[in-house]
Amino acid sequence: MSKVLQIFSSRRTWAWPYILFMALFVVLPLVLVGVYAFTDMSGQFTLRNFAKFFSHSEAIQTFFYSVMIAVLNTAICLLIGYPAAYIMAQEDFRTPKVMAMLFILPMWINFLLRTVATVELFNMCGLPLGEGALLFGLCYDYLPFMIYPIYNTLQKMDNSLVEAAQDLGANRWQSFWKVIVPMSMPGVYSGVVMVFMPTVSTFAIAELLTHNNIKLFGSLIQDYITTTDLLNYGAVLSLVLLIIIGLTSFFGDHDASGEEKGGMV
Amino acid sequence: MRRMRLVVLGFLGILVSTVTAQSNLTYALQVGETGKAAVVDTFPGTYAGEKVNISIQLSVVNYQAVDSLDFVFADRPIPTLERWGEQVYAYTDSEGSDWTVWRKKELPKNRKKRVLVQNAYGAFEQYLHASIEVQHSRGWIWFVLAGLILAGVAAYSIATVVQRRKEKQLSSVEQETLRRKRMGMRRHYGSQLYLWLLLLVLYAPIALIAVFSFTESKILGNWTGFSMELYANLFTGKADAGLNSAIWYTVVIALIAAVCSTILGTLAAIGIYNMRARQRKVVSLMNSVPMINPDIITGISLFLLFVALGVSQGLATVCIAHVVFCTPYVVLSVLPRLSRMNPNTYEAALDLGATPAQALRMVMLPELWPGMLSGFILALTLSVDDFGVTFFTKGSGGLETLSTFIYSDARKGGLTPELRPLFTIILLVMLTALIIINIRNKKQENN
Repeated sequence: MSKVLQIFSSRRTWAWPYILFMALFVVLPLVLVGVYAFTDMSGQFTLRNFAKFFSHSEAIQTFFYSVMIAVLNTAICLLIGYPAAYIMAQEDFRTPKVMAMLFILPMWINFLLRTVATVELFNMCGLPLGEGALLFGLCYDYLPFMIYPIYNTLQKMDNSLVEAAQDLGANRWQSFWKVIVPMSMPGVYSGVVMVFMPTVSTFAIAELLTHNNIKLFGSLIQDYITTTDLLNYGAVLSLVLLIIIGLTSFFGDHDASGEEKGGMV
Repeated sequence: MRRMRLVVLGFLGILVSTVTAQSNLTYALQVGETGKAAVVDTFPGTYAGEKVNISIQLSVVNYQAVDSLDFVFADRPIPTLERWGEQVYAYTDSEGSDWTVWRKKELPKNRKKRVLVQNAYGAFEQYLHASIEVQHSRGWIWFVLAGLILAGVAAYSIATVVQRRKEKQLSSVEQETLRRKRMGMRRHYGSQLYLWLLLLVLYAPIALIAVFSFTESKILGNWTGFSMELYANLFTGKADAGLNSAIWYTVVIALIAAVCSTILGTLAAIGIYNMRARQRKVVSLMNSVPMINPDIITGISLFLLFVALGVSQGLATVCIAHVVFCTPYVVLSVLPRLSRMNPNTYEAALDLGATPAQALRMVMLPELWPGMLSGFILALTLSVDDFGVTFFTKGSGGLETLSTFIYSDARKGGLTPELRPLFTIILLVMLTALIIINIRNKKQENN
């Protein structure tokens, strides 16, 4: 007993339960995705699941379509979100805190409920459900994730730099492109990552917004993984998604390295 | 003042003209099945005089609860439909089968209708399902909107012209200052307008939920008069049993997950803070994995783990899964508090004879609790809001949280009406909290 106490008197060891927990419930499951992808139903090693993926045109098409939708959504969020963040970060903007809270508040309403309400709204206005509705809904759900990091970096920025640029003869437009935009890049990167990653893997929203007419990669994975005898194939699809996520976060990290990150948390 | 009056007058004028134009609008009617269009009359009674557009796409779906449907086309008698709705129409199709059309008693007004086709090929559970489709033309909304915008622009330009003419009598210096002032104002109001428009769009669906929480109608978008019935149902437990248990489970899971992850995360943060740099880097990397992973990946990987271990999924697995994605956020909110703390106080307490537990309780906790609290609240929020991870780890034992409940509800085609008052209340509570925090901040600033 005293030995146990001694071990725990070194505070370094206090993280052990957590490390153990993470090893069991974070690392091991991710390894298992790989294991399942490379085995068949009986647990034998096989590459057949991958072969199936590359010959499965529906899966490949859905994959590229989802990536395209995610890129499009990220671009739209950036286009809409950057000006909003910029306006809020202006010095003469009197209520930035209230505004920021107003943008986050909708996130307290369950996103599925909001999505259903969006669908009803589209029906009320007589708008068709489809790609447009999908993009609207995605943008609606993830816009705060874009606005927040950009707002954070812009707000922390030293305003005297802009003044210096203007003193040196830059006009408003030049000082915006040459000073403000480059300075806000870390926020933009983390905003892009925070919007792109959930969109590329989304599954429930697309289903509701298009009445199941458009399938995204997430829904495809969901279909296969919940079907017992196709579980291994589902694991392959998850692995593909995992690779995309890994690449995105690597690039996101790489680009923002060394600079102060404007993360949300 | 004069400008304002002009703007208002312009708006009124255009509004009157759009309203009168709208009364002349008629809707087009066509009823058809995919491939062959069989034109049928208006459904008697229901849509008297109003023309409706029905298009049917046939596709096989699994069993649909009758409640989620609005119309049923049947070529055979179906007794259960007697209770559900009424027969509104009968016709013979081009192949000679006699069809009867059934309509649900309470029909949603503003959304597309769900139509079911029950014919010889389908058993009752496996329908040929016509996905959705009676659509009202709501084109006039756009006419009104366009009219309003046009009116605004017209009124503004007229007012500007009038103003300009007046200004011409002023000196050039005065004109210049006025122009500058106007530029600044324009930019200011332009950016304000942009933000408020964004917020308007962001809040429109939520407003829809809030407004329709005050009517009894089963269907979102159908106004059947003001009523507090749904609120009463929610508080007296008369709402759907599934909803009640979902609320209960959501709260229980969120509390368990938040408490566990706060304890685990705080201990971990203390441990990580005291590690050597290289170790710390490894653990921090591991800590960021669940935050980077989208919920579908977290959910699926845990699902595979539980399948591989042969664990039956239920409350315990959902709680574990929630602890997995909540704890990293607790760690991140406690770490900054640690770096702000004097690292020697803990050792000093030990030297003075405190046991590690005492030192933790009396020295560390008072310093760390703000971080722990914000971590706890964050964990609660994340847990309540989660859908993806819960969906894959809840098993098939009938455990539902609010998110998964809404999902399966929406898939069935309707929302349990009591969800509307529930989320209206949540929104109001959050709004009040926001206002209180704001007022307090203002007071602190003033002091």
